Amino acid sequence: MDWNREVLKKYKSKIKLAMSVCARCGMCAQSCFLYMAKDKDPEYMPSYKMINSIGLIYKKKGRLNKEELEKVREIAWEKCVLCTRCYCSLGIDIPWLISLARDYCRLNGVFKTYD
Amino acid sequence: MIKVKRKPFDEILGCIEKYKNILNVGCGGCASVCLGGGQREINILNEEIKIFLNQNGIDKEIAGYTVERACNEKCFLNLEDRVKQGGYDCILTMSCSAGTQLIAEKFPLIPVFPAVNTIAIGIDRDIGLYEERCRACGDCVIGYTGGICPVTRCAKSLFNGPCGGTNKGMCEVNPNIPCAWYEIYNRLKEQNRLEDILKIHPPVEWKNQIQRTIVQYGYEERYMR
Repeated sequence: MDWNREVLKKYKSKIKLAMSVCARCGMCAQSCFLYMAKDKDPEYMPSYKMINSIGLIYKKKGRLNKEELEKVREIAWEKCVLCTRCYCSLGIDIPWLISLARDYCRLNGVFKTYD
Repeated sequence: MIKVKRKPFDEILGCIEKYKNILNVGCGGCASVCLGGGQREINILNEEIKIFLNQNGIDKEIAGYTVERACNEKCFLNLEDRVKQGGYDCILTMSCSAGTQLIAEKFPLIPVFPAVNTIAIGIDRDIGLYEERCRACGDCVIGYTGGICPVTRCAKSLFNGPCGGTNKGMCEVNPNIPCAWYEIYNRLKEQNRLEDILKIHPPVEWKNQIQRTIVQYGYEERYMR
């Protein structure tokens, strides 16, 4: 499957909408237990994770270099457990977008192996 | 978390024998964490199957795809597109049984076969080493058994103390397994709360014998009208 041609094309408008709707209000932050557990480290804010994972993939039109791919992997797995509990007052489905970033990583052979 | 373990290779081959175009679906949740059915395990199994097919001159196609949570349809993402585009006539899954059933529900016209056995709800002792700790009986008693589950850890799932077969702290079923009730007694004694197991408790209803639906507190109005 060509992720860029098929998946990115299919969800392009949804990602674009999320990126433009996100007001960077930070309201989602407190709904993330990792953000709270990590002394409110801004890199754990759901909006930060969304913008720097799927947002980056979208911005780069799915053409990420190795470093960028590793950065997305780190955000999508190490900084998010996909508990799906983050809440956006504007209705952005952040977990869905992060899982889309994971899907991109997986198709590029990058994922967490847990050992 | 839920622990899964891959089925014997021959059993998996038997499931896919009649089919030509197979999609092996993994899960990025518990099955990945227990090293039983994540993307890497999908890749390994697919490679093993491909080698077997090549060696035996069998013509089949097998591909892999990993969903983030096989037990949550919202996380299926592109699975439906993949299945449609690939024209698969059979799906293998490496998620737990719950995830496999959701995939089977999603694709009612395609045969779905589990490539793993769902073993337990367990704890991680080391990488690739897990111990069962819960059988989801739906009536947790570990509050008064010192954090030791008699349902899981007693060979007879006894609720009211050890049977007559306990021998020097070990189980009569297997002398290498500690007697759960011996451990419960010792732990409660150390905590000065032996009275917890002297109280009469109502009998367990064995709620895991019927299919359950879980509605969390605060969500009753939403789902229980």
